[in-house]
Amino acid sequence: MNFLHDTHIDFMKYRKVFVWVSALLLAVGIFAVFVHGDLNLGIDFAGGTQLTVKFRDEPELDRLRELVTAAGVEDVLIQRFGEPGDHEVIIKTASVSGSEEGSRGLIVGALDEAYSGPELAGAFDLNRNGREALTDLLVQLDAESLAADSDAARARYGELAAAVIDARQAEGMFIETAELDAIAGLSESARRAIKDNTELGSFAVLGSENVGPQIGSELRQKGVAAVVLSLLGMLLYIWLRFELRFGVGALVAVTHDVLITLGLFTLAGFEFNLTTIAGFLTLVGYSVNDSVVVFDRVRENLRKSRSKPLKHVMNLSLNQTLSRTVLTSGTTLLVVGSLLVAGGDVLRGFAFIITIGVVIGTYSSIYVASPFALLWEELFGREARTRRREARAT
Amino acid sequence: MTRNLVWKGALIVAIAAAALFSAWPLHETINLGLDLRGGVHLVLKVETEDALRSETNKDLDRLLQELKDGGSFSAVGAQLSDTSFEVTGVSSGEDGAVEDIVADYLPGWNWRRDGDRLEFEMQDAFVKEIRNLAVVQALETIRNRVDAFGVTEPIIQRQGLEGDRIVVQLPGVDDPERVKDLIKNTAFLEFRLVAYPVGGGGVSSREEILANFGNRLPDNLEILSGPIKNDDGEIVAEQFYAVEKRAVLTGRDLKNARPGLGEFNEPIVNFLFTHEAGKIFAQFTQENINRGLAIVLDGKVITAPRIRSRIADSGMIDGAFTQQQATDLSTVLRSGALPAAITYLEERAVGPSLGQDSIERGQKAGVVGLTLVILAMLLFYRRTGINAVVALLLNIVVLFGALAYFGATLTLPGIAGIVLTIGMAVDANVLIFERIKEELRHGRTPKSAVDAGFGKALSSVLDANITTLIAALFLFQFGTGPIRGFAVTLSVGILASLFTAIFVSRWLFDLILSRRDRVDALSI
Repeated sequence: MNFLHDTHIDFMKYRKVFVWVSALLLAVGIFAVFVHGDLNLGIDFAGGTQLTVKFRDEPELDRLRELVTAAGVEDVLIQRFGEPGDHEVIIKTASVSGSEEGSRGLIVGALDEAYSGPELAGAFDLNRNGREALTDLLVQLDAESLAADSDAARARYGELAAAVIDARQAEGMFIETAELDAIAGLSESARRAIKDNTELGSFAVLGSENVGPQIGSELRQKGVAAVVLSLLGMLLYIWLRFELRFGVGALVAVTHDVLITLGLFTLAGFEFNLTTIAGFLTLVGYSVNDSVVVFDRVRENLRKSRSKPLKHVMNLSLNQTLSRTVLTSGTTLLVVGSLLVAGGDVLRGFAFIITIGVVIGTYSSIYVASPFALLWEELFGREARTRRREARAT
Repeated sequence: MTRNLVWKGALIVAIAAAALFSAWPLHETINLGLDLRGGVHLVLKVETEDALRSETNKDLDRLLQELKDGGSFSAVGAQLSDTSFEVTGVSSGEDGAVEDIVADYLPGWNWRRDGDRLEFEMQDAFVKEIRNLAVVQALETIRNRVDAFGVTEPIIQRQGLEGDRIVVQLPGVDDPERVKDLIKNTAFLEFRLVAYPVGGGGVSSREEILANFGNRLPDNLEILSGPIKNDDGEIVAEQFYAVEKRAVLTGRDLKNARPGLGEFNEPIVNFLFTHEAGKIFAQFTQENINRGLAIVLDGKVITAPRIRSRIADSGMIDGAFTQQQATDLSTVLRSGALPAAITYLEERAVGPSLGQDSIERGQKAGVVGLTLVILAMLLFYRRTGINAVVALLLNIVVLFGALAYFGATLTLPGIAGIVLTIGMAVDANVLIFERIKEELRHGRTPKSAVDAGFGKALSSVLDANITTLIAALFLFQFGTGPIRGFAVTLSVGILASLFTAIFVSRWLFDLILSRRDRVDALSI
């Protein structure tokens, strides 16, 4: 299929209009992030504790928030996670001041008090204990009447415990004891012993993370350093491979892309975490990649026709590479689009960055990178220098 | 077909086969990161100041002891900081003796006289050595404890070569609180003689003990408390003992410790002394029959039985434990003591259900994305699109082959990296194909258009991919586990796409062009 071939669009003609478009988008982005302060920093950078909890029954978020706040934990953020029927929530809290170790204990304690009925007091909760603890319980009960302090008995009970806990983890939690019946490899006596000596609590902790303030601030510094250094690395590479004016053009374009995407990312309310940094660095690579392909063509055309003005050569090159630019952006959008739709909660923010970034990056490789290279040439290029010298001489 | 074509074809098939062989079956060959398979990731800090403080304390004691042995009974010491102390009451005439003691026993210390005071300051190299030793020892101890927890493929390593941080990764561990407690447990065990009540057991108040000693406790004794537990192992009250400050033996003298069951089926800890310690213990118990022996754990008396007979090298601790406490205590006793306290700086525990969910979603997104890209290629490039599709599929095979071969770890962001690679890998093909189209439009024959297309697009392809590689490099450098996984899959994907787009795709063109004697048109 011939697609966008032999176009003669005068991209450079409207560059001044698009400077305003870009400026407007940038202003929105900068306002959202830096002035309005809406950036939703995740615990990776802000420090804090985050728990993913599954409940047997649909939890009420307001009640949860009250419970956790009442336990003395600050800055509590609670949101639903996963599919509607999963009854899963994420509980996110700030760091406990003066401590590196976080508020997991406080949160779980508060949930325990509110959600565990009296039958659970002092009982062994099969939804909350791990493999090792269940092994210990089975050893103590000596469910299969083995010589319990032998290593062989411990190993046997370890296997049984693993089978039970694996079954629980596949679903997140046990809802009813009947689920134990479906576990293969569990002897009848062990099953009986477990049923008689354990209870099923009404929630389970699926995941927990804590980032102490120390690591949080280190990650912040490293994240900023990674983005800034990669930008400088790009500038250097293009400077070496091409010329400084192209390097400047690409750097302006990529900074433009990152800031606008960051602004939209913030407005959309996504959490800024480690994966987000991965998203932005990928965007940096992608955006420069787009500009470089155009510059490569400009360089080639310049070699062919030295006499033509840069503006003309740029227009020609942009038209020649247009079909490639659009096609590659298209295929990348196809995959990140499917990631955005089907990739799940955790990768959604990442997919959002690349999706927006590809669109903005494609626009900027045409309307930002080349015009800025041109502007640089007009201000500091050979002709401009000659003009200035002449002006001084007269 | 020319020999060249055959040779290249064989190479491509060989690489594809090697990649398939190394990556098949996928679920066995690819290492999953903790975020996908579930497990616990901990970053902890060894509080090396603790080790410095206790070294300073020990060296000060040693100095005072040596001074006393040499006849200076008036020397008094005081610790000033973690790495310094002062000694008073030593006349300047004894400086020579001090110098000798320092040379013999305190080689890591600088000292100087300031009037009546002697100031001691630990040398920087010695400070560094002690800090380092504390981390190395902590690493060893933690490794022992984790091994006892039955974790397969744990990673326990120091962060950097000199730092005081240790990274612990425990795949499949499902109870972060328990493993954290186990690692952190100082479990300093001592065996000490009970001075009052003489036969062991405790009394209900401090006052009773003090009264017994005429309200002034002898210097060699101290009062310790211990819990009284009910049948469920819950603490119901406290009792007190006067015990000797000096320990006969400590946890360091144990050769082994294992959980077991006592007379009434209650959980206990069985232990075995080293040969040397066994001799000391035999003599000690022989001399102190019918007196109480306090077993002190972290400064609490957990039990104080009466010594009934000479005990040589083994014994048991019956501290009204739960099974879990007995198991953990024996693990900790076996693993040796931590040289310093530990603080957890970072903790990430993921249950396998979350990881499984992520893998499924990532797979779905990948398959949908791949299908769409394949359709797009076929739509835009017709039969030449097949060329791009073959290159893309081979790219994915090589990517997984390389991940498996180098033992790279696949993380959730890594899955995103693979999906992204699918979209971006065709870029090199697109660049080349568009160029070929252009050359065809300029009236070149298919063969020369392919030649020119590949030749002219090459620098664009390289430049474009190198910029992405630079970004990936910074990511890797910045990255913690999951992010590194992303940087790795993205980089490997890009390198694989260079191979497939430049080498494989070219070969496919050459193959088609060589099939027919004269090719009039390319379906592109």
